[in-house]
Amino acid sequence: MQQTLSENNKELIRFYKVSKRYKTLLALDEISFSINKGDIFGYIGPNGAGKTTTIKILVGLIKDYEGEIYIQGKKIIKNLNKIHKELGYHPQDVGFQEWRTVDHLLKTFGRLAGLHSVNLEFNIQEALNFVNLQDVRYKKIIHLSGGMIQKLRLAQALLTKPEILVLDEPLSGLDPFSRYQLKNLIKTLSKEGKTILFSSHILSDVQDIANKIGILNNGKIMKIGTPDELQNEFQLGNLIEIEYANNSEHCKGIENISNVESIEEVKLNKDLIHLKSNEELDNCIHNILKLITDQKCKIYNFRLLKPSLEDVYLKYVGGDTK
Amino acid sequence: MSLKILFLDELKGFYKSKVMIILWIGIPMLSILLHFIPNTEDFPITSLIAILIASIGGTLAAAMLSTSIASEKSRHVYDLFLIRPVRRRNILLAKFFAVYLCLIIATGISLILGLIVDGLTIGILPEYVLVQTFESLCISLAGMAISCSIGMLFGILVSSVPVAAILSVYLGNQLTALSILPTVFLDFINPILFGVIIGISVSTCILTISIMIFNRRQF
Repeated sequence: MQQTLSENNKELIRFYKVSKRYKTLLALDEISFSINKGDIFGYIGPNGAGKTTTIKILVGLIKDYEGEIYIQGKKIIKNLNKIHKELGYHPQDVGFQEWRTVDHLLKTFGRLAGLHSVNLEFNIQEALNFVNLQDVRYKKIIHLSGGMIQKLRLAQALLTKPEILVLDEPLSGLDPFSRYQLKNLIKTLSKEGKTILFSSHILSDVQDIANKIGILNNGKIMKIGTPDELQNEFQLGNLIEIEYANNSEHCKGIENISNVESIEEVKLNKDLIHLKSNEELDNCIHNILKLITDQKCKIYNFRLLKPSLEDVYLKYVGGDTK
Repeated sequence: MSLKILFLDELKGFYKSKVMIILWIGIPMLSILLHFIPNTEDFPITSLIAILIASIGGTLAAAMLSTSIASEKSRHVYDLFLIRPVRRRNILLAKFFAVYLCLIIATGISLILGLIVDGLTIGILPEYVLVQTFESLCISLAGMAISCSIGMLFGILVSSVPVAAILSVYLGNQLTALSILPTVFLDFINPILFGVIIGISVSTCILTISIMIFNRRQF
């Protein structure tokens, strides 16, 4: 195992055959994956797939599990105190005590994390500036909106300037503008060199930010890879989409496209044509372009269709998606 | 270190809560009002206050602890404490000591006020009254410690906030009364010594059980 870890210097987090059982329910079933330094790892799966359990194990909230987790090659179970300082955790749906102000909350968490007063003040200001909450610093938390509370959760995660950020459903329950803001904040953190693991059950969130995706279903890792890798692996066949000027006289002949060599299937829909080529895709494209040119047909769009991440996700979670 | 931070933090929280206004202002006022009921005019108010604080204060504190723990537990408030270098037991101990200190302050305010009222209305109190008051105070402190620990236990055991409140108020009162009852009926018992021993031992036992359960709980 140690040899495996040393092979990849960039590797920051490694889950190795991690399982967790709640009485009769197997929440995690020998999951193994790794996250490299600087990655934004999108951990996606339907509700109840085991995302929060994975995250709670990583941050040390769940300690009785099987398997091993390493951060920078060190087992977390033996180094929890050190790891606490390197991890920032944004929990899902965590509540705050109502009597606290934003300032008081951050001061308490900062002191508990071992920050001294000078650093604490500086870090609080920096965290609040980053999430744009400086104006509500002395307001009671109970008076904050949902979006502000999500930002506050992120601010407390950033207090100790951790290298690793673990964000559990950071975008859930937010309005579109707050989602946009928070996505940008996560991207900025990644540019600053932070390694980010974030979970979501909403595909578009992961698609927008992650450079590596893990699909989890029923406690099992179904697939891991970059968005491109996932899309390329899941072949839909050689599909081509052509958008053309349907009302143009020149394009009337294009309806005979099904006679073109190498085309297996044609679907016409107003000004869109969907084609399925046989294995000789290059030949097929050549023939289609030749027909279009000969006819002098006006084309708006010509593209090869790749599977969307949604297709990939649906394949692995059996249609349970938003 | 974390215990000190958490204790000061909880103290601030309880200090800001409305329950503490009742304890620190309401109960002393109630005791003084009781003094002016016709039949109690010659009865020293200080003893009355000690008894009042023990029952009302202890009950309020137990309800406050049980409901705050049950509610914070269900809202996963502790997650953000536990991902930092904080021992689980310190979260509970900080709560317990903060509430208990608030009760002691409330008792102190009430007794000082009572002594002033007694001094003004009755004059210099005889020594036996002061001894009785001191005995009542010790029993009250023991009772409050037991009530607080029972409130804490129900807060950890029960998920529903109303159920935690009902159990801690009802059973908390019964168990506290049961623990300090011997001082009323058994003349040979020294109430001060008994109060100190029973208060420390029973509340320590209940606190230990609470901490053990809390350590095993996953939030």
